Amino acid sequence: MSEQKTLYSPSSSVAHSGDDELEHLRREHLMLDPRPRGEMNAMVMEAMLTTSWKFKLVFAFMALVVIVCLFGVWGYLIAEGIGVAGLTNPVYWGIFLVNTVFWIGISHAGTFVSALLRVFKAEFRRPFTRAAELLTTFGLVQAGLSIFFHMGRVWVSYWLFPYPNERQLWPNFHSALSWDFLAINTYLLASTMYLFLPLIPDLAMARDRSTGWRKVFYRILSLGFRGTEGEWTHLRIAMNIFAFAILPVMFSVHTIVSWDFATAMRPGWNSTIFGPYFVIGALQSGLAAVAMVLVIVRSTMKHMTYFIREEVFDALGKLMLVISMAWAYFFFNDYMVQWYGGDQFTEKLLHFHEAGPLGWMWFAMLIFNVAIPWLTLWNRKIRRNPWALFAIGLGVNVAMWLERYIIIPLSLTINFMPFTWRMYVPGVEVPLGIGTLAFFILLYMAASKLIPLVPVWEVQEGQLAHTVRRVGKEVVVSVAEME
Amino acid sequence: MSEIVSLLAVFPDIDPAAQAVDELRRCGLEDGDINVISGIPVTEAMLGRPRQWSNVPRLALGGAVAGFLIGMFFAFGTPTLYPIYVGGQPLYPGAPSVVVLFEMTMLGMLVATFLGVFLDSRFPSYRPKEYVPQISDGKVAILFRCPIEKQERAIQALFALGAESIQPAEAQVL
Repeated sequence: MSEQKTLYSPSSSVAHSGDDELEHLRREHLMLDPRPRGEMNAMVMEAMLTTSWKFKLVFAFMALVVIVCLFGVWGYLIAEGIGVAGLTNPVYWGIFLVNTVFWIGISHAGTFVSALLRVFKAEFRRPFTRAAELLTTFGLVQAGLSIFFHMGRVWVSYWLFPYPNERQLWPNFHSALSWDFLAINTYLLASTMYLFLPLIPDLAMARDRSTGWRKVFYRILSLGFRGTEGEWTHLRIAMNIFAFAILPVMFSVHTIVSWDFATAMRPGWNSTIFGPYFVIGALQSGLAAVAMVLVIVRSTMKHMTYFIREEVFDALGKLMLVISMAWAYFFFNDYMVQWYGGDQFTEKLLHFHEAGPLGWMWFAMLIFNVAIPWLTLWNRKIRRNPWALFAIGLGVNVAMWLERYIIIPLSLTINFMPFTWRMYVPGVEVPLGIGTLAFFILLYMAASKLIPLVPVWEVQEGQLAHTVRRVGKEVVVSVAEME
Repeated sequence: MSEIVSLLAVFPDIDPAAQAVDELRRCGLEDGDINVISGIPVTEAMLGRPRQWSNVPRLALGGAVAGFLIGMFFAFGTPTLYPIYVGGQPLYPGAPSVVVLFEMTMLGMLVATFLGVFLDSRFPSYRPKEYVPQISDGKVAILFRCPIEKQERAIQALFALGAESIQPAEAQVL
């Protein structure tokens, strides 16, 4: 039997500095390169508290865009009515709902990355789960706003709430739109709680290291957390329940969003595969968004090169490749069955997608969603290059937005009544869409200065669980099961 | 009856803290008199401590049942209160009701889980507590109550095991 000798335990800081292989492993993996907890705390706090002039400039610009494009134009929409949007017969669902579906898709990434990787104990997740979870919460805010724009008469949005009106008539809970309300709100609540629970110990850490208004802020939010055995036990159990339970909720949300379309007897929409096709599309755009955000966080915030290493981009790149293949599979499945069906209106719609005036969208969707990821992400060097991954992720997100545009306004153009066919020309939807994007960036920037973006306690827990040992002549990394 | 004192011993790591828990037991302290405070989740098994009781799973189950019942009311109760037949569809359809039941069950379970942490941990609690900020910097603290006649022996034993400081546990504003 071969000898299995522990070379060093990262937590004990006993290392064989002369060993090149160990040095390489340490450079490569955050879990094998521990620093004292106090130092890691200080790094995360410094990243949070340091604000450059560039940050302030971008923040001010985003705030201006939000004021003008979001609140200004929304006010105009409310004052003038929904007629200032480009919605008209036959396209009553336009960019507002394209953006709703797009942002819900983006929001899937945080939960997928955080919960699924937590369930499967994927160690590379530890430094960036929070950065991903923030995507979920802020993405859902934009999705909700886009629904409000679409409503037009936003002041009666409370009609969606499940309560009876003056005539004791309840909303119809068997309608896909009621499911949307329940599913999106369930997901928003669940993802916010899931973001907050693991944040409590880090807020307590920030409380211990802050003064002034920040001390008060963190003191209130950390709820009096000290780290007693009981507090950790309740937190650990709750996080396990959340990690398992939030995944089916995540799947249900985009499935229900897809049913808004699939339950209608329309060409291009009435497809039984729309549920999983939408879910995989959401993961496709969401994972790409996580990669993009991590690249920006890593390159703009202090000390983040220590926490977010190339191993993270490597792993995300692999996931993006697998999800891209799955998306292509579902896309082809949907396309193939509709094409084979032979319905004349569906045929016309498919032809319109590919060869109509916006046919370039259909080809761009396939190029950026399939061709480019497949041609690039198999390559380890490209996956480990953060800016290359950023560019691929940007392409994927543009492609996924185009996909939603093709599914919604473009598909609504072709229906069973040819005399109504008419192209959709957006109006205030464009500035409002830009406004939601700016609002998302603004919220994320604000959060990066208010809450610790790296879950330090999770990183330290992971480092404690890792050891390096030699099996025969090979140096291998071992991870202990600590829960 | 002898006077009881509360002490807070700070250790640099988990290993000496785990040994210190054993030592305190040898000094005659009960598990209920000892509490370990740490900046990372140190499990009961690592410290050789009895399993912590948590109501969170039961509350989660209770929340799921409550959510399911609310879902039943939405799916089957509301059409009964005000029946409207839409497009010849049944008043109590099976598959669409499953969607409502699922969402409400999950919502109930997750909200109850979240509130369970608050209830079990008694959050939020802003009153002064025994704590030292070094804990969030990676130190492991043992908060224990012992009769005054055993204090000296416990302090000596804990210092011998590597305690960095042992001080009377005074509640402070966090």
